[in-house]
Amino acid sequence: MKRVGIPHGLFYYYYYPLWKTFFNSLGAEVVTSPATNRLIVDAGIQKAVDETCLPIKVYFGHVFQLCQQNLDYIFIPRLVSIEAKSYICPKFMGVPDMIKATIPGLPPVIDIVIDLSKTDKLLKKDIFQLGRLFTRDNKAIRNAYKKGLQEYYFCRALAGQGYTMSEAIQVWEGTSQDITGEYDLNLGLLGHGYSLYDENISMNIVNKVRAMGCRVHLPETCDRKSIEAEAATIPKRVFWTLGRKMVGSALHMDKRKDIDGMIYVACFGCGPDSLIGEIIERKIKNKPFMLITIDEHTGEGGLVTRLEAFCDMLRRRRASSENNISSHG
Amino acid sequence: MQCYLGVDIGSVSSNFVLLDQLGRLHTKIYLRTEGNPVNAIKEGYARIKDSLSDNITLKGVGSTGSGRNLAEVLLGADVVKNEITAHAVAASHKYSDVKTIIEIGGQDSKIIILKDGIVNDFAMNTVCAAGTGSFLDQQASRLNIAIENFGTRAVKSRQPVRIAGRCGVFAESDMIHKQQMGYPVEDIIMGLCEALVRNYLNNVGKGKKIEEPIVFQGGVAANTGLKKAFEKILNASINVPENYEVMGAIGAAILAREHIEQNKTTTSFKGEKFILDGDFKTSSFECKGCPNLCEVVQIKRDAQPLAYWGDRCKKWETSLDSQCRLKIV
Repeated sequence: MKRVGIPHGLFYYYYYPLWKTFFNSLGAEVVTSPATNRLIVDAGIQKAVDETCLPIKVYFGHVFQLCQQNLDYIFIPRLVSIEAKSYICPKFMGVPDMIKATIPGLPPVIDIVIDLSKTDKLLKKDIFQLGRLFTRDNKAIRNAYKKGLQEYYFCRALAGQGYTMSEAIQVWEGTSQDITGEYDLNLGLLGHGYSLYDENISMNIVNKVRAMGCRVHLPETCDRKSIEAEAATIPKRVFWTLGRKMVGSALHMDKRKDIDGMIYVACFGCGPDSLIGEIIERKIKNKPFMLITIDEHTGEGGLVTRLEAFCDMLRRRRASSENNISSHG
Repeated sequence: MQCYLGVDIGSVSSNFVLLDQLGRLHTKIYLRTEGNPVNAIKEGYARIKDSLSDNITLKGVGSTGSGRNLAEVLLGADVVKNEITAHAVAASHKYSDVKTIIEIGGQDSKIIILKDGIVNDFAMNTVCAAGTGSFLDQQASRLNIAIENFGTRAVKSRQPVRIAGRCGVFAESDMIHKQQMGYPVEDIIMGLCEALVRNYLNNVGKGKKIEEPIVFQGGVAANTGLKKAFEKILNASINVPENYEVMGAIGAAILAREHIEQNKTTTSFKGEKFILDGDFKTSSFECKGCPNLCEVVQIKRDAQPLAYWGDRCKKWETSLDSQCRLKIV
C-alpha cells in the first residue's frame, strides 16, 4: 500500500476530509503530522524564509516532521484559487517551490495546481493525473473525488453546528468533541482558519474565550449567502477568498442582534490581514470590535488580559443597558 | 474601621492601597518591582501592615496588573481583574462623568473610552513599547536627568524641537542628532514628550474619539511635560488625579468591595502569617510530557508547592486541587 503524507497545516483545516477520502478510496494510506507543537514550530521557523507569516513557517515544520516517516508521496498542492475570480494569498502559490528548495530529502512531492479562477478544466486534468499514481481506472478516480467532496460537505455541515474546522475534522474521524458549556455571551471570532483553528498558533483562543463564558460564532456558522451579500456592499470587490469571507461575516455579525462583540485574529506579517483587519475595523458600526495580532511569542499574558478586558466590557455594558444604573461607584 | 486592600503588580512598579468602606484612600504604597514580584508583594504587605492600626480589619483583597495571579496565590485575593477594568473603575469612581482615560505604564499604554461610566471601547499598544514609561526612563538616564525631574525640566522649554515619534529607536537617534546640533536640553525633552504623545495618539488612540473629560493616569502621569504635550496636541484640558500612580490598585480595591458586598461573603485573604513568615520561592522547569515542552513555573512556600502555571494543557495547573491549597491556610 502506498503511503501519502498530508501536512497538518494551512488548508488542512478546510480540505483534509476531501483528500483523505480521495486517497483512501484509491487504496492509499494517508499519514498526517500531529497537531502543531513546539518542536514543529521551532523546526518550521528554522527552515522557512523569514518574510513569510507564522502559519506558513509552521507548515514547513509539519512537512519536515512528515519527511521522517517513510512516505511514498507528500501532498503539497499549489493553491492559486478555489473559486471563480478570487484568489488565495500569493504566498501559497510558492509554497511547494519554497519547500523543495529548503527541505532536503523530501519524498516525491505531489504539487497539483488548484486554480479555479477561470475554469475547472485544469483541475480535472490534474486530478486524473494524480489518480493515475494509484490506479489506471478513470471511473474509480472520478468516484473517489466525488466521495471526497461528499465528506468535505459533511464536515462543513458539522462546522455549521459551532465546531471549529479542527474540531469538525476530529468529530469526522470519530473522536467526539464537547463544546457545550455555560455561555452568557455571544462572540464573533474571525480570522484565517489555518491560524484561528490551529490551537498552537492562535494560543488556543477559541477555548480560552469559551472558558470565559462566550459562545463562539465563526464564519462557518454564518449563512453563506448573507456573507456574500454583505461582502458585496464593499465598494471594491475583495478578491481574496478568505478575506472576502471575513469582511462578509463581520458585516453580517454586525447586524445580528444576538452577537455581543467581535474579535479578529490577524497574523503579524500577513499581507491580506493588514488590509482586511483595517476594513473591518472601519466598517463595523454597531458592535465592540477588537483586533488581536499574533506572532511567534509564547507569552500568553498579553492575550489573556485583552480577552478578559473585552469580556468584562461586554458584560458591564449589558448590565448597564439592562438596569440603566451604573454598576459601580 | 473596615478596609479593602488593592494590589497592582506591574512590570515596573507594585502598588498597594487601603480603602475604607466609603472608598476613601487610607494608605498608599508605591514600590519598584525590580524584577522580583514575590519580594515586592511581601515588602508591600509588610509596609501596609505597619500602617494598620488595631481598629482596622481587612474585609477583602483585589489584585490586578501583569502579576495579578501571583498576588492571588500569595495573598488570597477575592477578585483578580485585568488592568483595563481596574483603571476604568478607579477613574469613574473619582470622576463620575469621565469619557476618556489615558493610561501609560512601564511597559504598556492604553486608552479607555467610557460611556455612562461603562467601558465602551479600549485599545492597548500592540507589539511595540515605544511611548511607554520604560522608554522615558532610558532616555532620562542617557541625558543624566533623574526621571522625577524630567517633567519639570520639560515644561521650562520655550521652543520644543521636533523629534520623530514613529519608533523609539528612531526617536533616540533623532534626539542625539538634535543634541549634537546644540539645542538646549529642555527643548529636546519637551520635544520628546510631544513625540511620545503623537506616537500614542497614532498607535493606541488610532480612530478613537477622544472626548472630555479626559483623565491621565499611571506612573507616567507624574511627568508634567507629557500632560502639557497632551493638552497642546489635543487642545483639551487633562485631569491628573491626585493618586494617579496607584489608580489600578484603587480599582482593584473597589472591585473587591463590590464583590464582597454583592455576594455577602467573607474574604479569602490568607492572613499575614502566611505572607510574612513563609519563604516563597519560584522556579521553572520544562515539562517533558509532550512535544510542546512548556515552561512551567512553580511557586513554593517553604517546601509546599502553592501553584503552577505556564502549561498549555493545564496538567500542572490543576494538579493542586483547591482542597490542598486551602489546607495550607
